[in-house]
Amino acid sequence: MAQIQANDLDQLTVLFDRYHLPIFNYLLRRTNNDRETAEDLTQTVFERLLKYRTSYQPGPSFRAWIYQLARNAHADYWQRQQHMHTSDVLQVERQGGFGSSAFDAMITTERDQNLHEALALLPEAQRDILVLHRFQGFSYEEIGQQLACSAGAAKVKAHRALQALRTIYFAS
Amino acid sequence: MTDRPSPYDCFTVADQLIDYADQVLLPEQTARVASHLSQCPACQEQVAQLRELSVQMEAIEPAKPSPALRNQFLLMLEKEKAVVAAAPVPAPEVREARIRTMWPGEVSRWAMRIAAGVALLVMGMVLGQQWQPENAPTVTSAPIAGSTKHAMQLANALSGDASQSLSASDRIQLVDNAVEQVDATGDPAVQVLINTLNFDPNSNVRLAAANALYRLRTDPRVGEAFIQSLTIQTDPNVQILLIELLVNMRERRAAPQLEQLANKPDALPIVRQQAEYGLGTLI
Repeated sequence: MAQIQANDLDQLTVLFDRYHLPIFNYLLRRTNNDRETAEDLTQTVFERLLKYRTSYQPGPSFRAWIYQLARNAHADYWQRQQHMHTSDVLQVERQGGFGSSAFDAMITTERDQNLHEALALLPEAQRDILVLHRFQGFSYEEIGQQLACSAGAAKVKAHRALQALRTIYFAS
Repeated sequence: MTDRPSPYDCFTVADQLIDYADQVLLPEQTARVASHLSQCPACQEQVAQLRELSVQMEAIEPAKPSPALRNQFLLMLEKEKAVVAAAPVPAPEVREARIRTMWPGEVSRWAMRIAAGVALLVMGMVLGQQWQPENAPTVTSAPIAGSTKHAMQLANALSGDASQSLSASDRIQLVDNAVEQVDATGDPAVQVLINTLNFDPNSNVRLAAANALYRLRTDPRVGEAFIQSLTIQTDPNVQILLIELLVNMRERRAAPQLEQLANKPDALPIVRQQAEYGLGTLI
């Protein structure tokens, strides 16, 4: 990252190779399996990484920083969606959780599909914490650092989220 | 006193059921929860559901984005590099030096690259026209003529005189667009993309060409080109991407080249690792 800050921009390709798959998958889960939006947001993450490269302070792990960029990119997207909700029904229909995930049924198994739909019904914060812990392999300590809470609090939140997912998943 | 546990018993173990299902409790805690479960069908069911959910979450394979994502990224990177390069620099002579380093020092290598590119293209076209299966229909001359013209334009833009004025981001854009215009196996544009993969001076353009060719992988020339290219590429990013693509294509013929790369003393450790991984997956 220090080399990128010193304008050796080719080093960004190394970071892209290392992080674009996990970031894409993180955003895929956050967007209810909407591949197109997840790709757009992944692109946004690397654009912002490049744009704000000088604001990165060595210290906290780079992994935490790039996930924070991804979380912010998703939050901005989500806010835009909320604005659009009242103005463009068709667009929301196209990008809505169930709508888009239903189209992806061809490439995922039915079981995966059920899980994605259950995840889509969780509140945003619970989905975030579950995706970080169960899909991206973050420890409770790392999640606590990202969400500005203790590791213990992160664990309690993650457990609540998992129980909520279990209730939704097995209710159907 | 009955065997059924009270709601209070369930409450005391409720916080530990997830850790129990994940098998991360200490032995004495595990024993306490197990003892409760033996008497409580409701908590047993909860643990069974948690385990099933964990298994299902672990079973979800990571998804892969489309190759367009990488090309868009490379395009963005080249644009930013152009911005950085164009930023005001303190000494005017640096500006002059920048212009010089782009061209005269490289001219002989460039001439070789252009000559090799054009020679390969011409050879491919001549062979393509001379070699025809015995029963091949001969009505395809019109579309081939169209695609040949497109390939010639592309070759000129990517490696001919015109390419001198094109920035790397322009060349990435051209490579990206070329894929959309290739309409049949045997299109000469594939050979132009192969030349770009092998001879373009910019590694990001070469990466874009590799991604573009991967999208055209039904053409038999693509697999062969990747294998050949592996022996001439020196940039680790290009080497790693080529290995990844060859593995995705299940291209077993790449084994000797991968073995060579895995044992190459001057290759970066990460490249050697990737080559070993590729070998392990393919053979």
